Amino acid sequence: MKNTIKVERARHNMTQQDLAEKVSVSRQTINSIEAGKYVPSTVLSLKISKVFGVGLEEIFELEDGD
Amino acid sequence: MKEKSILTVPLLSPGWKKVAFVFFPLPVLLVIGMAVVRMDIDPDDVAQIIYGFWAIGFALLNLSREKYEDEMIKSFRLQAFQTGSYWLIWGLGALMLINYVRFDTITSEIFTAYLVVFLLNAYIYAAFQYQKYVATKDDN
Repeated sequence: MKNTIKVERARHNMTQQDLAEKVSVSRQTINSIEAGKYVPSTVLSLKISKVFGVGLEEIFELEDGD
Repeated sequence: MKEKSILTVPLLSPGWKKVAFVFFPLPVLLVIGMAVVRMDIDPDDVAQIIYGFWAIGFALLNLSREKYEDEMIKSFRLQAFQTGSYWLIWGLGALMLINYVRFDTITSEIFTAYLVVFLLNAYIYAAFQYQKYVATKDDN
């Protein structure tokens, strides 16, 4: 699953640590999600989209293999 | 979503990891001490003492909380227990096969509960650490 968290963070001038604190996970978890190594749960995905004030599908996108 | 309390595994505080590491050299020192005071001890019992202490050490490490016990760590923990069980089954199968080829029997005195619990916990720990390493190796 692709995501645009890095882009959204840049738009909102946020670090990985800032986002991690807002959604109550570690910075390593945010880094792993951005790198596509970890697919977040629905709850965490909704929390992330809420922080950026955009819809879920604007951040997360299914890939062919999913 | 509420979790079923009967299925919840309470985790120890991270401080228990320090206690866990004491259990690794402790049986070796204990066995050396027993040899020094000339206690009559069976070599098979020595192995069981070491396996037992190491099993407790790895179990404490596996059941101690991480600094951030978030959903990624929880998912790694679940995967580690599943992977550990899988490796244990194949490992024991391989030992049985080796035993059969060498001694013509699949059973052996080395298959004790201490050995199995030690191997299971060691595999779980290895699988957990490996997942954490993979998740953070290209950290930026």
